[in-house]
Amino acid sequence: MKRTIRNMLLTLCAISMMAGLSWADTLKVGVQAPITGSYANEGQGIENGVRLMAEQINAKGGVMGKQIEVIACDDQGTAMAAAICAKDLVNKGVSMVVGSYTSTCAEAAQKTYFKAGVLQTSDGTADSLTEHGYWTFLRNSFPNSAEAAFAASYMVNVKKYQRIAVISDFSSYAAGLAEATVAEIKKAGGNVVTYAKIKAGAQNFTPVLTNIKSKKPDVIFFAGYYSDGGQLRSQQKALKINADFIGGDANDNPDFVKLAGSNAEGAFIINVPSPDVLPYPIAKTFIADYQKKFGSMPPSIWGLMNIDGMRAIIHAMEHNQSFDTKKAADYLHNMDKPLDGITGQISFAADGNRKGGAYVVKRITADGSYSNEYAQ
Amino acid sequence: MDIFFQQLANGLTIGSIFALVALGYTMVYGVMRLINFAHGDMVAASAFVGLTIYTQVMGQATSLVAVVAIFFLAAVVMAGVGIILERLAYRPLREAPRLSAVVSALGASLMIQNGIMLIWGPQMRIFPELIPNISWEINGVVISLIQVLILTLSLALMVALYLFVEKTRMGAAIRASAIDQDAARLMGINVNKIIAIIFIIGSSLGAVGGLFIGLYYRGITFNMGWQYGLYAFIAAILGGIGNIPGAMLGGMLLGLFQAFIAGYVSSTWADAFTFILLILILIVRPTGLLGERVAEKV
Repeated sequence: MKRTIRNMLLTLCAISMMAGLSWADTLKVGVQAPITGSYANEGQGIENGVRLMAEQINAKGGVMGKQIEVIACDDQGTAMAAAICAKDLVNKGVSMVVGSYTSTCAEAAQKTYFKAGVLQTSDGTADSLTEHGYWTFLRNSFPNSAEAAFAASYMVNVKKYQRIAVISDFSSYAAGLAEATVAEIKKAGGNVVTYAKIKAGAQNFTPVLTNIKSKKPDVIFFAGYYSDGGQLRSQQKALKINADFIGGDANDNPDFVKLAGSNAEGAFIINVPSPDVLPYPIAKTFIADYQKKFGSMPPSIWGLMNIDGMRAIIHAMEHNQSFDTKKAADYLHNMDKPLDGITGQISFAADGNRKGGAYVVKRITADGSYSNEYAQ
Repeated sequence: MDIFFQQLANGLTIGSIFALVALGYTMVYGVMRLINFAHGDMVAASAFVGLTIYTQVMGQATSLVAVVAIFFLAAVVMAGVGIILERLAYRPLREAPRLSAVVSALGASLMIQNGIMLIWGPQMRIFPELIPNISWEINGVVISLIQVLILTLSLALMVALYLFVEKTRMGAAIRASAIDQDAARLMGINVNKIIAIIFIIGSSLGAVGGLFIGLYYRGITFNMGWQYGLYAFIAAILGGIGNIPGAMLGGMLLGLFQAFIAGYVSSTWADAFTFILLILILIVRPTGLLGERVAEKV
């Protein structure tokens, strides 16, 4: 008897707590990003961008009268911390999550958000992210397979490289991009002389590069993150490996140029166009506001992609006149007319992939800026 | 064959950094029987201190004098931090069970690591190219100026340390304290002073190692101390912890071992093989290659 009463009391407590959450008059937006660690630069860019966007929406009266409350969680770029973040954000009652930056972290958190019916939008490019069939996941970037096809055709058909070396680390994003690129190169009739893997953050890549040197490649394609890419480029030049260097999309960060220093010049980076060249009016005003508030450019396109994901979800809620996440997802998966985003028009396929996307090849010039080399 | 010599050059460069850091572990262990887990984070801190000295004190000057001054000032600052660390974290626990001191060392490690994050921020900081980008190619083997500098400066420091410990009165006092602290006290040696000197030397050598990491790899993060500390610790055990020439040998061997494993087997396995090596050494020859003095174990 005593037990029943206790259980009833506990249930009551639980119900009132849950009710407290759903009656709260803010729209809770979670940010899951690597705010510390190797990719902190990108993680902070995402957090800053989301906070700025929330501030701007709140100043205009919020979303259907509700103010946005941003709750950030630092996943440190590791899967373990990402899983903890996911639980934490769900417990705090967010209805959508922006992030994370890395595919590994987005993937580690996906299932928790799916089970809780929390919408997640990430720039993670690993193809596997949209292969689980989670209706909650919306990719605001373009998948590796698209980039791999572009990179392979650029190397084989445009640059006509004869001996291609591919390097990646072990993360979902990097290994996925590298494997897809190797497959695409072979399909296009190209010659991959070696596919080597490095440990992210190891700093000393000379043993791997020395091996690659003996294979005499005319290009090194690196699928991985800028923090390793800059050092790889620097060590490649120090070892006098006379090959072009092409970095995948995650090398598109100012730290790549700083790390490679005077060796950065001449390296190529494949990505969607940089934020500063985005022609859309909404991009120009948002980037100007960002610079005014934080005193620097957004670190890369990735933070802006994530903000576009967030804007799309809010747009869907406003369109439906409902905060229901399932309805918002249904609307986003079948948009009749794309939304004008900071990074171009945004709309989603039924599997959660962003539609469209065109890549460019950027060449790093002597002063560390980009010049456009080739466009799709 | 040129691959072999290239890996040799790469391995010796990273090995001499390991050796410099390993000396800090081994000297402290030699005298205090304490594994100073905070040492790796001291090394990381020194890279950040060096970067701050470059931007704030030197006004971003890139002359030779400025580079020498950065090394000197960073070593002085880190020696000061080393003394404070010993005074606050280890001296109060000198008579306590050994486990307490180890826990205190782990705590100090976390404190320094988080301190770096609070002062310099969580993102990667990037060193300027202070050493000119010059390299030479001999029969297909490329050696850069910075590699030569790291190797020669490390060797010079190690020889100087060896001579200091073996040939001077102070060195004799250090060796005496390492063998038996009570007997050393009876002979009129101020053991507290010796331990302070050990921390000064260990921290300054670690500071030089940290600056080498910054100058060679350019990117530094607040949590990199753990990785370098672990490698240096393995190097110290490999050579025989408590033994100064052992730490030098261990560092060089570990650098070469990693370069050859990564080069000829797979970089994926470099870490795994490093730990297998550590386990094998502990099973087959627990005293390390050059062996620790075991007189005190009676």
